[in-house]
Amino acid sequence: MKKNVAMVALIIGALAVLLPFASSNPDGLENLISTSGAQPQHEPFWNGLMSDYNVEAVGNSYLSAFLPGLFGTVMVLLATFILASSIAPKKKNANQA
Amino acid sequence: MHIPDGYLDPAIIAITWAVTIPFLIFAWKKTKTTYNHATAATLAVSSALVFVVQLINFPVAGGASSVHILGGTFLAIILGPFAAMLSMTTVLMMQAFFFADGGLLAFGANAFNMAVIGGLSFFIVQLLMKKSAGRSRFASSVLIASWSATVLTALLTGLELGFSSAFAAAGGITLTVPTMFSVYVVAGLVEAVLTAGLAVSLRQWQPGVVLGLKLLGRRGEL
Repeated sequence: MKKNVAMVALIIGALAVLLPFASSNPDGLENLISTSGAQPQHEPFWNGLMSDYNVEAVGNSYLSAFLPGLFGTVMVLLATFILASSIAPKKKNANQA
Repeated sequence: MHIPDGYLDPAIIAITWAVTIPFLIFAWKKTKTTYNHATAATLAVSSALVFVVQLINFPVAGGASSVHILGGTFLAIILGPFAAMLSMTTVLMMQAFFFADGGLLAFGANAFNMAVIGGLSFFIVQLLMKKSAGRSRFASSVLIASWSATVLTALLTGLELGFSSAFAAAGGITLTVPTMFSVYVVAGLVEAVLTAGLAVSLRQWQPGVVLGLKLLGRRGEL
């Protein structure tokens, strides 16, 4: 348990440290879309809760990027833990390798 | 490499969903027979790590473009092929729902390109380690599997976009496939080196965490 908590802390620490160094240039696919002049056939019907990993309400640019990252990390942890618990409930299969 | 909504034709969307869903159902069934609750934390933590590394883009092509690590092979080595598919699918789902990173209609394509291909790359490692399970053989197997998965993901993305009418005027697959290939053939090397380095380190220092390795020796259970 302690080891997993330490790993999560390390992951969030890495996010906090590395985020300012992340390239803001479009990724390979976004670059392809913008340079090819391809036009979307329809508008997306869902724009997410924090589109492009940014919360505009936060004035600080670092926090605007970090907070969605932190939120996403917590959501992934929760979702995958629920997934894993559904795959293998605690009591069932307890003795399987 | 998350395809947004609006760029894939309905037929491509339908085909990619139709191909992906059976893989995920099969992965769910296989994972249920193989995993116990003790692996839940490993699955959650490794998924969170992949979510974070996908946030960190690094420049390629002289800084004109950027890429991020996909992490599919890493998950496959840590979790085994089928749990890796489910783990990556969950990460992609969170990205699409909360951050609109990848479209909801295009989710079938994104899940196939990144989750299914990433998971299947486990079998490249398994194939290459048939004769030897030594450290250098393990490292080179992971390296090849990771690079192959990244490049295949890029090629599939290029094909799916290139066969869609949004890219017809721009040249279709004659533009999309070479463009994606040229970016990710290099990015794949970075991903491969990082994945192999991490996998070898974990195997050395935390072998108990590397569930995929245990599965390598128990092929009948896969």
